[in-house]
Amino acid sequence: MKKAIVIFCAFFVFAMSGRALAALRVDIYGPGQNVVSLALAAPLRGQHVEASDMGRGLQSLVEQNLSFLPFMRLTDPKAVLGGTVMDGAEPPALDFKRFQLAGADLLVTSFWPDGDAGTKTVQMRAFETNTGGRLFGKEYSKVTKKDLPEVADRFCADLLEALTGNGAFFRSTIAFVKATGKMQANVWLTKPTGRDLRQITNMKGQAMSPSWSPDGRFIVFTHIDPKSHALGVWDSSSKKVSRIRFPSNVVIGPSFTPGNKVAVALSNGKYPAIFLLNHAFQKERVLEQGSSINVSPSFDKSGTKMAFTSSRLGGPQIFMKDLGSGSVSRVSMNGGYNTEPNISPDGTLVTYSRMTEYGNRIFVQDMVTGEERQVSFGPGSDEQPSFCADSYFIAFSSSRGGSRGIYLTTRHGGDAKKIPTGGGAAQFPRWGLGGEKK
Amino acid sequence: MKRLSLVLALVLCLAAGFGCAKKQQAEPGYDDGMSSEMNAAIQQITDGRVYFAFDKFSILPEGKEVLKNKAELMKKFPSIRVRIEGNCDERGTQEYNLALGERRAHAAYEFLTSLGVNPSQMETISYGKENPAVQGSGEAVWQQNRRDDFRVTAH
Repeated sequence: MKKAIVIFCAFFVFAMSGRALAALRVDIYGPGQNVVSLALAAPLRGQHVEASDMGRGLQSLVEQNLSFLPFMRLTDPKAVLGGTVMDGAEPPALDFKRFQLAGADLLVTSFWPDGDAGTKTVQMRAFETNTGGRLFGKEYSKVTKKDLPEVADRFCADLLEALTGNGAFFRSTIAFVKATGKMQANVWLTKPTGRDLRQITNMKGQAMSPSWSPDGRFIVFTHIDPKSHALGVWDSSSKKVSRIRFPSNVVIGPSFTPGNKVAVALSNGKYPAIFLLNHAFQKERVLEQGSSINVSPSFDKSGTKMAFTSSRLGGPQIFMKDLGSGSVSRVSMNGGYNTEPNISPDGTLVTYSRMTEYGNRIFVQDMVTGEERQVSFGPGSDEQPSFCADSYFIAFSSSRGGSRGIYLTTRHGGDAKKIPTGGGAAQFPRWGLGGEKK
Repeated sequence: MKRLSLVLALVLCLAAGFGCAKKQQAEPGYDDGMSSEMNAAIQQITDGRVYFAFDKFSILPEGKEVLKNKAELMKKFPSIRVRIEGNCDERGTQEYNLALGERRAHAAYEFLTSLGVNPSQMETISYGKENPAVQGSGEAVWQQNRRDDFRVTAH
C-alpha cells in the first residue's frame, strides 16, 4: 500500500493572520451556475524565492485538475501586472489587488518552507481576492515527487468542498471497461482526471457494467465468455477476481445497493428480472419482475429508490420503484427507447440515454420539477451515463472521437471533456470512492 | 488341454484386436451412413439462422420454418446438443441488448420445446450486440445481426 498517510494533512489555524474566513460559495446545483476565476501565485520556497522543483510540478498538477471544473476559469499569469511572485504566501505579504485587476476571484498560494527538493513539507492556502479572507489552508508533510498527484487531488478536493460543499470529484476513482478485441474487454480504473490509470482484471472474454461497492472494496461486473454469463467480483484487498455463475446463464448490469448488496438482472425462467443477492452473492429476493424485460437497476444513497429499465410498455423506458411501498412510476416520458438509468446519489435526478435519429444522447430528468434536460449532443453515440457522488458531474461513454471513450459533463450539460484512458475503446464508466494504489 | 486353451484365447484376442483396429481405421472411401447423415444434420442446424425485427423477440413465420427443420433433426439425433445464441444489432444499448438477446434465444428454445425437442438438448446464451455477424451500419447490415445462431456443442 502506498504510504497514503505519508502526506499528513493539517488544517492551518493561521491564528496569526487574524483575518476572517472567506464566505465565497459557488452554487453548482442551481440553474444559474456562476463562474469563478482563480489565480495561482508562483510557488515559493522562501521570501520572494520561487520554488522550481516539486513546487513547479505541484502547481502544474493543480492547474490540470482545476481545468476539469467547468465553473472555474484559470487566470493567465501573464495577465497579472507585476507578476505572480509574492513576498510570502499569506497576508500581508500578498498583493491581492494585482490579482483582482486580472479578474481573479480567488488566489491560491503554495509555500515550501524547507525547500522543494527531496522529502519536504508544503503549505497551500486559498484566499478571496476581494476581501483577502482565507477560504482554507492545509499543510502536507513528507511529500516526495511521486506524492505530488495525490497532494494535488487532496488540495483540489478540499478547495472544491470549500467552494461547493462537495469535493467528491477529486476523491473519486472511475471504474470502466476497455476493449482489446472482439468480445475481449477488461476492467480498468482511473481518476476522473485520467491519472492513476491501471488495469485490474485480466480475463478472457468480455467485461461489462462495472459497479463499485459503497465501501470501495469490491467491483462487480458482468463477464461473458463464449459459453456463459457470470458475475465478476474484484476484491481490492486480495486483488483477486471471482467468476460466479447462475443457473439461468443470464447476468446483466449488476449494481451495488447502499447496503453493500448487489442487485442484478438474472432470468426468472422466462424474462430477465432484477434480483437482490445476499452477501455471499446468492439470490435473496426479487426486486422487480414481470412478463417483460427488467434490467439496469440503480439506487440513490438512501437505498429507498431504484431506477431501472423496463419494456413493460413495449419499447424500453425508465421507471422508478419506491422500495418501501413497492409503487412503480414512469420516469422517461419522451422518446421510444430510453435505457441505462443512473440515479443521482441525492435522489433528485435520473440520467439515462435515449435513442435519437442521430444516435444515443444523454438526458437528465429532474424528479422534483418533472423537467427533462438534454446534456449531451454527440456527434456519434453517447451512452452509459453515471453520476458522481456529488450529484453534479456525469461521466458517459461516447463514440464522438471515432473509438469509444469516456467523457465528463454535468447535470447542466455544457462542453464535454474527455478523460484520457490510453488506447482501446473505453466504456461503462462508474464512479466510486475506492480503489487500491499501484 | 490347458496349453491349447491358452493358445486359443490368444488367437481370439488377436483377432478381436485386429477387428477393432480395422473399425477405427476407416478405409479410403469408407462411408458410415449414420455419420454422414449426422454431419449433414449438424450442418443444417448450424447454418439456419433465425432473424428478428428491431427490438422484438417474436419468431417470424420464416423463422418458424427454420426451427421446424431443426426440431426434426434434433429429435432424430437426440445426442445432438445445441447452444442457441441470441444477438442484436448495434443500435440499442448494451445491457438492454443483452436482455433482448436472451429473450430471442429463449424464444427459439421455447418454440423448439413446443415441437417436441428435449429441453436437455438445448442451452441459451445472449451476446447482445457484442458478436455481430456482419460489420457496418444500415438496415441491410442490422437485419443480419438481429438473429439467433445455433451452435452444436456435442453429438
